[in-house]
Amino acid sequence: MSPRKTRSRKVAVGKEVLKKALDLTPFTDEPLRFIDEDGHPVADFSLEDVGLDAAMAVRIYEDMVLTREIDRMAWVLVRQGKAFFHISTTGHEGTFVPQLHTLTEEDWVAPFYRLPASLHVRGIKVEEIFAQYMGTRLDPLKGRQMPGHLGHPDHKLFAHGSGVGSQFAVAIGIARALQYRGKGMCIAYGGDGATSEGHFHSLMNFAGVYNLPVVVTVVNNQYAISVPRSRQTASKTIAIKAMAYGFDGFLLDGNDPIVMYYATKKLAEKARSGEGPSLIEALTYRLDPHSSADDDKRYRTEEEVKYWWEHDTLKRMRTFLEDMGLWDQDREEALRERVKAQIEEALNRAEEAGLPDWEELFHDVYAGETPWHLLEEKHLLAEELKERPLHNPLKGGH
Amino acid sequence: MPTMTLAQALRNALDIALERDDRVMIFGEDVGKRGGVFTITEGLQEKYGEMRVFDTPLDELGILGMGVGLAAAGMRPVAEIQFIDYIWPGFDALYSEAAKLRFRSGGRFAVPLVVRSPYGGRVKGGLYHSQSPETLFVHTAGLKVVIPSNPYDAKGLLLAAIADDNPVVFLEHKRMYFMSKGEVPEGYYEEPIGKAKVVREGSDVTLIAYGMMVLDSLEAAKTLEKEGISVEVIDLRSLMPFDGEAILNSVAKTGHLVTVHEAPRTLGFAAEVAAFVAERAIEYLDGPIVRVTGWDMPFPYILEDAYMPNPVRIVRGVKKALNLL
Repeated sequence: MSPRKTRSRKVAVGKEVLKKALDLTPFTDEPLRFIDEDGHPVADFSLEDVGLDAAMAVRIYEDMVLTREIDRMAWVLVRQGKAFFHISTTGHEGTFVPQLHTLTEEDWVAPFYRLPASLHVRGIKVEEIFAQYMGTRLDPLKGRQMPGHLGHPDHKLFAHGSGVGSQFAVAIGIARALQYRGKGMCIAYGGDGATSEGHFHSLMNFAGVYNLPVVVTVVNNQYAISVPRSRQTASKTIAIKAMAYGFDGFLLDGNDPIVMYYATKKLAEKARSGEGPSLIEALTYRLDPHSSADDDKRYRTEEEVKYWWEHDTLKRMRTFLEDMGLWDQDREEALRERVKAQIEEALNRAEEAGLPDWEELFHDVYAGETPWHLLEEKHLLAEELKERPLHNPLKGGH
Repeated sequence: MPTMTLAQALRNALDIALERDDRVMIFGEDVGKRGGVFTITEGLQEKYGEMRVFDTPLDELGILGMGVGLAAAGMRPVAEIQFIDYIWPGFDALYSEAAKLRFRSGGRFAVPLVVRSPYGGRVKGGLYHSQSPETLFVHTAGLKVVIPSNPYDAKGLLLAAIADDNPVVFLEHKRMYFMSKGEVPEGYYEEPIGKAKVVREGSDVTLIAYGMMVLDSLEAAKTLEKEGISVEVIDLRSLMPFDGEAILNSVAKTGHLVTVHEAPRTLGFAAEVAAFVAERAIEYLDGPIVRVTGWDMPFPYILEDAYMPNPVRIVRGVKKALNLL
């Protein structure tokens, strides 16, 4: 083929890809996307076409960078012995940040352990995210959970457990409460591994039967620790599973923030207006090991990881903004400086807060009056602590 | 005051709860049109509509997960598990979610969830319609556990459970639904969770029981009275928190302790009562602490009478505590 023919063929394919994404086509075999793997538009479209404006497009990128830098700092905290674990968000920013930006104050989030670095978008302060990583007094959870968990009723953010997929079953009730009140929707998160748990089935089944206002988002980063997606399900895609539950599933390029924003905004609105649930499969890649306790070299090749770093969602979003004339090197440098200062300040505040009160452990088991047996147990510990100091892991060591 | 069966008293409590608080929702398998397999929710869907009283798919994990989510989002859910023997697929939502949400959220979330379920034997229900697994819930920090023994308490305790901001496992003895009758006030009232009731005063031995075993204990007490043994029977009503003070007061008076339950013996609730009394009142005891329980086996079908604690077993237990056997 001549170069001209090749180009016109590429344009035609691009237009087709664009149309599929704009039509929000369910059950495709290839992920829907608006930008290609380098970040350039697959075909000509305006921000308005995808439900964005310039301010929001820039905001999404800035929040993705902040998320990335929070996550990188968390790894530093682990190396410094200031945090004892980390479960990485890096590589998933293009999924979480735009999705969270589509939500209203009425909406709820049932998160899972990869979200925390991005939850500033939901109103959690950056210092609270760091405080949670370290378990200091500023942590909204008062240091009760390992790093990688956040929740707060004021932000309509469920405080999830550590059991993979557990938040899916809880999301049934959150969505049912919203349906009863007639406003808001719930976005329920989990990974590809979580789709093997019964909780996923429960949510999908109840969501279909009750027509719940829920957008189930499966973050398919292709591995559940070491086990690849192909060993979780023989299903061609995860999105297609929605068909059997009686609603639509959408396979999206999870590293394309534009399609994540566009699709989630539409599907959230559909849920809010009583038109039922949707399943999103966001195809992405975990750029880090599963956690600070994992060694991903045992199950992934360096070439594979390198490929995904080269097509990092941050790079793609930046290229897109540059193509749109919304970004340049000066702005990038200014942003990086701002984020650096913000993180430093937040980290200091989080760290200085110190250890949470041990007394409250006994009072937070039950709401209302603390039962007598816990008061007795609290007294026993108080007596014990007259004879030994309470170990403070924040001062180093295990 | 009207006379009600246990089933009617529970239905009446649910009706009142639905009426006075629009955050109350009732759901489970067959609770809608069918009114529950034991008719506890009969007529409630018709009265309050399908958003307040509704059937669920046959999925205990979904039911209890939904309960946690509803509670977290500000509702006051009342879930029915058709038989407590079938709760296990949903135990994750109860054990890992409901019980721990308040603690793990730094006290920010409340979980005002009630899980109602029939338990207990003597109904020819075999392995999977007869068990008494209350200990597993008591051992799950963050849950409250309530087991009423009569219609009056059942109504007051269920209304208290629904008003409570904590997850409450509310176990109803299925043999008592239509057999147990008593006077029940028509309006709203609460019986306090965590308070026991002395249902028979006595001076020689303290008999601790809950649920249907209160009735067997009272029968045993009557038999023993004829032999000149005065038995004090305490209906525990709540297992978590339990009324330690009531137990100690009674044991200080009688000096002898027997605890009765249908659940298997080893690490059953009687073991906790025994340890509790041994730890702080051993000086009051004039004889061995005795447990009268089911056996450490799965629940049998046709030979269920061999398993079930009964007045004869209780009488023998009391005599053992008094060093008469």
